[in-house]
Amino acid sequence: MNGLDARAKPANFANRWLAFWFTPTDPRPLAVVRILAAAIGLLLLWSYAADMQTWFGPDGMIDPATAAAWRSPFGFSIYDFASSAAAVRLVFAVTVVVFLLLLVGWCTPVVSLAAPVLWATLLHRGPMLAGAADDCLAVLLWCLAIGRSGRGLSVDHLLAVRNGRATSPPSVRCRIAEGLLQVHAAVIAAAATVAQLKGDVWWNGTAAWWLAVRQDSRLVDLTGPFGASEYLMNLVTHAIPLFEILFAIGIWPAATRTAVARAGLVAWPLIGLLAGAPLWGLTLATLGLPAALRTPPTP
Amino acid sequence: MAAQRSSPSAVQTDAVRAAVTVALGVYLVGLLLTVLGNSSSGSSALVRTIKGRLFAPWLVPAWLDLGFEQHLTHGVPEDADHALEIRPTDPMRSEAVLRLPGAFGGERAARWRRLARAIAIGGSGDPAVLAAAVGRGAFPVLGTQDVRVRVLRRPLPERRATADDGDPRQVYAARVRLVDGELQLLPSEPRGEVAPLVRPGEATP
Repeated sequence: MNGLDARAKPANFANRWLAFWFTPTDPRPLAVVRILAAAIGLLLLWSYAADMQTWFGPDGMIDPATAAAWRSPFGFSIYDFASSAAAVRLVFAVTVVVFLLLLVGWCTPVVSLAAPVLWATLLHRGPMLAGAADDCLAVLLWCLAIGRSGRGLSVDHLLAVRNGRATSPPSVRCRIAEGLLQVHAAVIAAAATVAQLKGDVWWNGTAAWWLAVRQDSRLVDLTGPFGASEYLMNLVTHAIPLFEILFAIGIWPAATRTAVARAGLVAWPLIGLLAGAPLWGLTLATLGLPAALRTPPTP
Repeated sequence: MAAQRSSPSAVQTDAVRAAVTVALGVYLVGLLLTVLGNSSSGSSALVRTIKGRLFAPWLVPAWLDLGFEQHLTHGVPEDADHALEIRPTDPMRSEAVLRLPGAFGGERAARWRRLARAIAIGGSGDPAVLAAAVGRGAFPVLGTQDVRVRVLRRPLPERRATADDGDPRQVYAARVRLVDGELQLLPSEPRGEVAPLVRPGEATP
């Protein structure tokens, strides 16, 4: 390698870095992510609603001291200070309202920041109740807090149109948010693959069976087809980590990004359905959505 | 280009980009370390120390200190469905039973299953503390201050199994009671872990 090549490589990396993170993009894909994230968030909040007092009420099963013993010392929850049933209800109601506002895109700059804060504080109140969908939603919401997701498909945008100051120019903040979504989509897919491949069942082709026989949490009963055909069970088992590897890698080259992200819109919800975690699947599909909505490069 | 670079707005833009680049770089390093540091297969003490000292203080409050270890299943008993059962210790009131998640499904049921699993196999905290808190939380519902907390696990049948023995099995049991204002947890040892009573002079089979 000569001196010219050595200088060109860092410059090339710098240009790619600048192009990836700082090329202004249309805010509408992020607006779609905002709507889906808020809808998933409301569904996850719904799963807390009926048992809110049973868990976090004054005489609840998970008192603040128990929650504190289960979380990192850096963890913090506003609910710890809600010492009455009314206070718990109030904090939860505020969270629901914030997610509703995020869904319709009203006061978006404020609620897109409030939503991840309130979501994190709820998860810290009962860390042993949180699942994979909750984790992925936290990531989604923080990415939305960075971008200007209210500049499209929102009440904010409609109000701006009515006042004659509506513009939705491409935004660098939207690009940074989309870039972070892409990074997390790849990291989560890669981490899930590594976690899966630590278990023998993902190598010997039986993992799909062990997912299907969890009769309380499964959403579809596939024990019949898997019991009848070992090949089908093996195929489904090996297809899952294979897809995750392809997703984690294929979301980076421009030539494959859109196709892989679009495949993820179908594959992640299907994996979530098989695993009995449909909201986790939907959240992962949403992480890859901006890449899926991009126009593929022409050859 | 040179004129553009020297203009105040261009200089400001470059400064902002530099600051954002540094912030992104720091965050991406933090993301890498949190994924490595939260791996159940273990990571080096150095990774955990750096993550714990530099990144956990600001990633934990945001619920971003995550390992994303979403393995779905490893086919082990711990991956089976768990459920919680709480009933008064008094046998005269044995009809009053809390079975959770009970009949409801979806994500609400999944949260109850996670709670039951956390009591049975632990996690980031002490399962005994959680079992005691859950038992105490059931006192007002069951109208007593002496309850028995059980975690039941539904076994995962083998593919070649001829009979489906799907009845849940007890994997954790403890008595939780309030005596003179003091909360007491009395764990029950599984029968298999209790040594047989041996009396001197008696013939052993």
